[in-house]
Amino acid sequence: MRFLIRRLGFFVLTLWAALTINFAIPHMLPGNPVTAMMARYHGRLHGQALQAVEAALGINSHQSLLSQYVTYLHNCATFNFGISVANFPTPVTSVVGAAIPWTLGLVGVTTVLAFVIGTGIGALAAWKRGGKLDSVLPPLFVVATGLPYFWVAIMLIMVFAEINPWLPTAFGSDSSIATGWNSDFVSTVLQHAVLPAGSILLTSAGVWVLTMRNTMITTLAEDYVRMARAKGLPGRRIMLDYAARNSILPNLTGFAMSLGFVVSGAVLVEYVFAYPGVGFQLVQAVDNEDFPVMQCLFLVITVAVLLSVLLADIVTALLDPRTRSAR
Amino acid sequence: MATLFRAIRHNGKAAAGLLILIFFLVLAAVPDLIAPGNPATITNDVSLGISGQHWLGTTGFGQDILVQVVHGARPALLIAVVSGLLATVLSVLVGVSAAYLGGIWDDVLNLFTDVVLVIPTLPLVVVIAGYFSHHSITVMIIALVVTGWSFGARQLRVQALSLRNRDFLEAARVRGERRSYIIMFELLPNMTSLIVANFLGAALYSILTASGLEFLGLGDVNSYDWGTMLYWAQNQSALQTGGYVWAAVPGLCIALLGTAFALLNNAFDEISNPALRPVRRLRVAS
Amino acid sequence: MKTGSLFRKRAKALGVTAVVASTLLVSACGSSGHSGSTATGKRGGVLTISNESGGLWTCSFNPFNSSVNFLATGNVYEPLVFVNALQNDKTTPWLATKWAWSNGNKTMTFTIRSGVKWSDGQAMSAADVLFTFNLLKQFPALDLNSIWSVLSSVTQVGSDQIAVTFKSPAVPYFYYIADQLPIVPQHIWSSIKDPVSFKDDKPIGTGAYVVNPCTPQNITYTANPVYWQPGLPKVTTVKYPAFTSNDPANTYLATGQAQWGSQFIPNIDKFYSARSKDNHTWSPPITQVSMFLNEKVAPLDNPVVRQALAYATDRQKASTIGEGGQEPPGHQLGVVTETYPDWVDATAKGKDDYTYNPTKAAQLLEGIGAKKGPDGIYVLNGKKLSFTVINQGGYGDWVASLQVVAQGMKAAGIGLTIDNLSNDDWTNKLFNGKFEIGYYGETGGPAPYYELRQFLYSANSAPIGQPASTNFERYSNPAADALLDQYASTADPAEQKDIIGQLEQIMLKDVPVIPVTESVAWYQYNTAKFTGWVTQQDPYAVPAAFSYPDMGQMLLHLQPK
Repeated sequence: MRFLIRRLGFFVLTLWAALTINFAIPHMLPGNPVTAMMARYHGRLHGQALQAVEAALGINSHQSLLSQYVTYLHNCATFNFGISVANFPTPVTSVVGAAIPWTLGLVGVTTVLAFVIGTGIGALAAWKRGGKLDSVLPPLFVVATGLPYFWVAIMLIMVFAEINPWLPTAFGSDSSIATGWNSDFVSTVLQHAVLPAGSILLTSAGVWVLTMRNTMITTLAEDYVRMARAKGLPGRRIMLDYAARNSILPNLTGFAMSLGFVVSGAVLVEYVFAYPGVGFQLVQAVDNEDFPVMQCLFLVITVAVLLSVLLADIVTALLDPRTRSAR
Repeated sequence: MATLFRAIRHNGKAAAGLLILIFFLVLAAVPDLIAPGNPATITNDVSLGISGQHWLGTTGFGQDILVQVVHGARPALLIAVVSGLLATVLSVLVGVSAAYLGGIWDDVLNLFTDVVLVIPTLPLVVVIAGYFSHHSITVMIIALVVTGWSFGARQLRVQALSLRNRDFLEAARVRGERRSYIIMFELLPNMTSLIVANFLGAALYSILTASGLEFLGLGDVNSYDWGTMLYWAQNQSALQTGGYVWAAVPGLCIALLGTAFALLNNAFDEISNPALRPVRRLRVAS
Repeated sequence: MKTGSLFRKRAKALGVTAVVASTLLVSACGSSGHSGSTATGKRGGVLTISNESGGLWTCSFNPFNSSVNFLATGNVYEPLVFVNALQNDKTTPWLATKWAWSNGNKTMTFTIRSGVKWSDGQAMSAADVLFTFNLLKQFPALDLNSIWSVLSSVTQVGSDQIAVTFKSPAVPYFYYIADQLPIVPQHIWSSIKDPVSFKDDKPIGTGAYVVNPCTPQNITYTANPVYWQPGLPKVTTVKYPAFTSNDPANTYLATGQAQWGSQFIPNIDKFYSARSKDNHTWSPPITQVSMFLNEKVAPLDNPVVRQALAYATDRQKASTIGEGGQEPPGHQLGVVTETYPDWVDATAKGKDDYTYNPTKAAQLLEGIGAKKGPDGIYVLNGKKLSFTVINQGGYGDWVASLQVVAQGMKAAGIGLTIDNLSNDDWTNKLFNGKFEIGYYGETGGPAPYYELRQFLYSANSAPIGQPASTNFERYSNPAADALLDQYASTADPAEQKDIIGQLEQIMLKDVPVIPVTESVAWYQYNTAKFTGWVTQQDPYAVPAAFSYPDMGQMLLHLQPK
C-alpha cells in the first residue's frame, strides 16, 4: 500500500509541476496571446473592440503574477480553459475534446499493441538467445529505434498511397461518411488508421523488444531459473512463468516511463497524416498561435501520460508482491 | 579507452555504427570537396530528375539535392553532438550528485529527474518553440538539452549508487581525498562506458527531435538541414508531384545517422552490462 | 502540408478585401431582380468544395466573425449589392433594388427589396437593414471594416429605404456598406446578448442555402425552400469538407471528387490539369505582395536608394520560382495590370522601366557616391547597403520568393537578410514601423484605388512605435494625400482614372513600396457535372471559394448538367 501511496504522491507532484511549467512558459517567453490576437485582426481592432475580444477570450494581463497563477490553477481544476483564438468563439475544451477520442483510439491501441508484440518478440529472442531469431531481430529493431517517426510515415504514404494508391493518406475517416456506429464508418476509420498505426508500430516496437530481451537475459541468469532448469521443468513453463513474468515488471515500469517518447513520436505521425487527434491539433495551434488551445493540449497530453504511468504502477503493485512490502 | 576500442572491434553493431558516423563526419568536414556548390542557390532548373549533372535531381526551387544533403551533415552533427554533450553533462551532474550526496539530496534530485522524465518532451519542445518568434539553432539546442537529460541522469544515478560503496572509493575516502577528487578521478572513470552510452542516446534523441521540429517548420527555414529539406519537400507537395528523391533522401540521412547513434548506444550498453554481450559460438581451433 | 495553412491564412487576408467591388458604376443603379442564372433548367446535384481549411469546422456561421464569415456570407446571409472586382466594378442588385448618392456624395440611399423571406419564413424588411448597421455601431468588434469610423448616421426613410450618411464624401466606401455587410434578421439577433461570441450554428439568412447539417468534418448546405429567387439555386446540395491539409485537398480535386477548388496546387499542369479534360484552372490576380521600405531609416529615406532597390528586385524570378509561376510578377505602378487594364495610365506605363536591371541599380548608387566594398556590397556614406527584411516565416512561398530576391540583390551589390518571424511578432513589427524592409501583402479592394491608398495615404500611417493601419513604410506626400481625397469625393470615372494615373507616377518616382509578386484568388473547377463556372471570358465573380459574398453569386450561377 505504501508503494501506491508513494506513486500517487508522485503523480500529484508531477501534475503540479506540469501545470506550473504550462503556466510559466507563456510568462517567460516572448510570444503573447494579446499581440497574437491583434495580429489576427490585422490591427483593425483597437481600444474598446480589442478589450471586448480580450475579455471574451479571458486574457487579462493587468493582474499580479501570483493572482494570475491562482486563477489559472482554479481554471484548470474546473476545466475552464477559455476560448480558442483560432476557432473563436468555440471553447478550448470542445476543440480539444473532439481530438481526444481519435488519439486515444490510434495511439492508445497501437502503443499497447507495440508493447505486447515487442515484449513477446523480446522474450522469445532472449529465450532462444544466440539463435537465428535473436541474431536477426534485435539488430533490426535497434535500427528501427533510430528512424525518425515522421519520415517512416512519409515513406509509408509514398509506397502505399502515392505510388500504389491503396490506402488513404490523410484524415481519420472519409468526410463524406457520417460519424456513427455503423459498418461504413467503422471501416473507413479502420482504413484510415492502417498507415499511421503502422508507422507508430514500426518505430516504437523496437524499444520493447530490446528492453525485454535485455531484462530477460539478466533474469535467465538468476539462480531460481537455473534451479528450475535443474529440476527439469518444461522449457515453456520456465520461459513464461519464471523468466518472462519476472522480466515483464521492469519492462512495464520502463513502458510507463517511456510513454512520453512514444507520445512525442505520435504527435509527428498525426501531423503527417493530418489525423484529427491531439498531436495534430497541437501543431495546428502552434501554427495559428492559438495559445489557449496550445496550453490545454499540452496539459491533456501530459495528464494522459501521467495517468498511464499511474496505471502501470498499479498493475506492477498487483503483479509483484515485493512492491507491496518494499519501501 | 583502449578497452573501448577493442570492444568496438569485437562488436559488429558498434563497428557498423562507427562506419556510418565516420561517413557523415567526412561529409560534415569537407562538404565542398564532395559536392561543391551552395545549397541555397535557386535556379530555373526546378524539379529535375536524377541526371549526370544533378545526381539526385533538383528541388522545386531548382536547388541541387545532392549539394543540400551533403551540406546538411554539418548542422545535423552539430546539433546532435552539442546538445548530446550538454545533456550528458547535465545528466552526470544530476545523476552522480544524487547518488553520491545521498539522503534528502538524492530524494529531491531523483524526484526532479522522474518528473522531467515523464513529461512528454516533443509537445513541450513544440510549445516552447511556438512561443519563440525566431526559430534559431540556439533555441532548439536549449530546448533539446532541457528536455533530454533526464533519462541519462536516472541510469547514471543507479550505476553511481552501486559503485558508491565499493572498496576503491572507500579507500580513497580513508586516504582523505576530497569529494570532488573522488568523483572526478575515482568514480567517473569507472562509469565511462555508461556515460558514453548516454551521450549517444542523447545525441540520438537530439537528432530525431530536432529534425522533427524542423519538419514542422519550427526550425530555421532559411537553413539547409535535413529536417528543413523535408519541410520544404512537404511544403511543395513533393510526394504528389513525383519528387520522391527530395522526400526520401534527407530522411534517409537522418535515419542513417540516427541508426549509427542507436547502434553505438546499444553496443555501449552491452559493454557496460557484460551480461548482454552476444553469445559467441566457440571457434574450433584449427 | 504546411503550405496549406499558409495559403489559407493568405486566402483569408484576400477574402477580407479582395472581394471588393469598385465604385464607378455606383450611381448607375440597377433594378433588375435576378442575379443568378435563368430560372429554368435542371435542379439537383451535389457539389463538393475543396478549400484547404487548416482546421476542422467549428460550425460557427457568425457572419461578423472574421475566421468563419467566408462560410456564410453570400450563400446564407446576403448583402445589399454585389460589386464585382473582376468586371470593372459592375454592380448587381441583391437585397437592395436601387441605390443613389446625394448630399454631395455624402449620403447613400438604398431601396430594400420586398418579398424577401428569412429562411424561417418571416419577412425581411428595411428594419433588418437598419438593425444590422446599428448592431455594428453598438458592438465595434463586429465592425470588421470599421465602417462606423466614417459613418455619421443611418436612418430609415419611409417603409423601404435606408439612408446612410458619411462624415465626408465617401464614394469608395460604397463597397464596404453595400457588398461587405451581410444583413442579419432583427427578430433573431436582437435577443442575442453577446453577438461577438455568438456561435450562430443554425444561421437564419435570406440566402439561397441553409446549413443542414454541419459536422466538424463536413458542412452540408442545402437549397433554401423559401428563397426569394424562384427556381434558384440550381445546385441543391453543396458539401464543404474540412481539409486540414493541402495534399489530400489537392488529391480530391485532381480525381474529380471535389469540383471547386481554391488553393495552391504545386506543379498544377502535371498534377491537376493534365489529369482530366474536365479539370480547369484560372486564378485571377487581385492584389500584390510588396516590400515596404521604411522611410524613417537611413539610407532608405533616399528615393534614389529606393529606386536602386527596385531595379535590383528580380520580380520575374520571384514569380516563376518562389511562387511556382502561379502568381504573376508585381508592377512598380502599384496596380494589378492584368485585372485592372483600364486603370493603367499610358504615360505612367511608358515610364515604367522597372525590370531586373543590376546595371541601372549600380549607376544610380554610384551616382550618389556609393562605392563597392571588398565583399561586393555597396557602401554609402560609410554605411553598408545591407538590409534586413522581416517576413512571416510560416508562408513558405514568401520565404522562397524573398530568397530569390536576396540572391538577385546580392548580384547587384545590395545585401538582403531575411528575418522569418512568427505571425504576431511580424505583424507587430510591421504595424509599429520597427523594420528596415517589411514583406507584406496589402488587402486591396475592388479597384486599384484601395491598394494605392493603403500604400500612400499619410493619415493611415503613424509615428514609429505606434501602430499604423496601413502605409507601414511611413510615406508622407501632401500631393498624394490630396489626390486620394479628391478621388473619394468624385463619382466621375474619367476623373478617377486620371487621379490613379498620377498616383502611378508617384509610385514610379518615389518607390515607397516595391511590389514583388501579385496575389491571386486560387480557383480550380471541374466541368464534368456542372456548368456555369466563372471563366476568364465570363468573370462574373471572384471565383475563389473563400471570396465572399462572391461565392454566393457563383452558387447562384452553377447548375448541374
